[in-house]
Amino acid sequence: MLRSVFAKTAYDQRRSLLGWVAAIVLLVLMYAGIWPSIRDQPSMSDFLNTMPEAFRSLFASSGADMSTPVGYIQIEFMSFIGPTLVIVYAVAQGSRAVAGEEDRRTMDLLLAEPVSRSRLLLEKATAMVAGTVVLTATLGLALVVEGQLFDMVIPVDRIGAAMLHLALLGLVFGAIALAIGAVTGDVGLSRAVPAGIAVVGYLVNGLGPMVSWLEPLQRYSPFFQYIGHDPLRTGVSGPAAAVAAATVLVLVALAVVGFRRRDVHG
Amino acid sequence: MTGTSIVRTHGLTKHYGATVALRDLDLEVERGEVFGYLGPNGAGKTTTLRLLMGLLRPTSGAAEVDGLDAWHDSVEVRRRVGYLSGEPALYPKLTGAQHVDFLGHLRGTDGRLAAKRFAERLDLDLGRPSRELSKGNRQKLALVLALMSLPDLLVLDEPTGGLDPLAQQEFQAIVRETTGEGRSVLLSSHVLSEVQRVADRVGVLREGRLIAVDRLATLRERSLHHIRATFADAVEPLTFAGVPGVRDLQVHDHSMSCSAPETALDAVIKEVGRHTVLDFECAEAELEETFLAYYEKEAVHAP
Ligand SMILES: Nc1ncnc2c1ncn2[C@@H]1O[C@H](COP(=O)(O)OP(=O)(O)O)[C@@H](O)[C@H]1O
Ligand SMILES: [Mg+2]
Repeated sequence: MLRSVFAKTAYDQRRSLLGWVAAIVLLVLMYAGIWPSIRDQPSMSDFLNTMPEAFRSLFASSGADMSTPVGYIQIEFMSFIGPTLVIVYAVAQGSRAVAGEEDRRTMDLLLAEPVSRSRLLLEKATAMVAGTVVLTATLGLALVVEGQLFDMVIPVDRIGAAMLHLALLGLVFGAIALAIGAVTGDVGLSRAVPAGIAVVGYLVNGLGPMVSWLEPLQRYSPFFQYIGHDPLRTGVSGPAAAVAAATVLVLVALAVVGFRRRDVHG
Repeated sequence: MTGTSIVRTHGLTKHYGATVALRDLDLEVERGEVFGYLGPNGAGKTTTLRLLMGLLRPTSGAAEVDGLDAWHDSVEVRRRVGYLSGEPALYPKLTGAQHVDFLGHLRGTDGRLAAKRFAERLDLDLGRPSRELSKGNRQKLALVLALMSLPDLLVLDEPTGGLDPLAQQEFQAIVRETTGEGRSVLLSSHVLSEVQRVADRVGVLREGRLIAVDRLATLRERSLHHIRATFADAVEPLTFAGVPGVRDLQVHDHSMSCSAPETALDAVIKEVGRHTVLDFECAEAELEETFLAYYEKEAVHAP
């Protein structure tokens, strides 16, 4: 069970991950459960259309239509709650990986053993990826299965595509937390910086279409890679996925380099 | 070349920003010896040991363990070393046995049997989560984790802090067996009494400088004692001033006080015995005082 740093990290997560999975299953059940009444109330879409454009742009994606399952899930789930959940989870894991271990002073225990710092960090990063995959896979499965129960049918491949982009979004922020923690050893900073970048990235992506000076920045927002191409409707975007994956890899590489060079906090 | 030293540092220096925690340390620990690394709090002991473990990067100079660079070949160094941190932290939810299992896997050697034996000797229950253990028992567990791989070198930062007297005795026996098997031990402490039963040699660190390295036996001979005596009659100062090694002598008609190293005690007491004694006191001085008395000047005058 405790055969490696990866296994130990996964083992430590088992209870909290179970909690996250249960919460997601219930949350999706709730969203699916109210779908029939939303669908039968066309005024919802009209209501949405009367909202200011900036507001619609922030909380709903382009041309989403509340009267279809895809539009409903897009607006109600994928534009805010879903990313928030996955980002919070991944940032917590990324921050815990190195900075958290130092903060609890157990890093001396790990690094008393003949395990290189790179290896330790890579195993922790792998555990973060695995946890995020479990979380988004659960979410996708819940959307498919619980959607069926309430006639909220979205093509499985589109859900899969959206989950892939959602997982990558979470991992970008998790990798920022991991890298800041690995370079500085500071838990607070390793949470605050990705949180700040997430807020800015969210606003830039949401307001970009309306604010002319923000528009050129929009495509640099991780949220643009996540949802700009509307994955629930159009499926996987290779370039967007590649940009996100490359961002994660670069951040993990920076984390390794930074962690190898510095003093470990005792 | 590995030579005879298991640990060797050259001009090892560590700054934390403006604080100089360690300057120009040249330290050697020989194979098969127990080296007591002494110094008051803040002297730089923990800094030295963490530099050896590759947890800190030297500002300048280098440290070698078994001929390997402590920073660049840290993984290989750690394969040879068992380390007890100065303020050991454990995983609160894991039991002792789970710690043994996990860290054994990281090292790639099964330490379970050895850990079980050490735990029995120290009277430690490996079955309980570490958060339920008392401070002393957590210290024992951390010690067991450092010992269990039977490494070539044990690096122990203040190992007996928090241990009860019985466990301290057992710990000393374990340390002696370790060197009996040809392995080496480097242990730090801020009190001489903690290392004097086990150390072969002692180094003393003060404000980041190594001010003395001596065989323990030599150190003992030099260990300063405070003597105070009250007599029935007035005494002549000159009678005590003539005893070699006596210092800080003060004589006020019926009473005398002075300091003397252990080697001078016999002569002082014989001198005292020539008078009628009303009261007599003799106590060992703090380590720090002994060092200030004998080594500080040497260190200052050293080139
Ligand atoms: N991480 C750190 N940052 C700044 N100063 C430190 C740090 N660690 C230790 N020091 C300082 O370095 C000096 C040596 O500390 P340390 O090696 O812990 O001494 P010891 O173990 O002998 O008590 C002390 O003055 C201490 O305050
Ligand atoms: Mg210390």
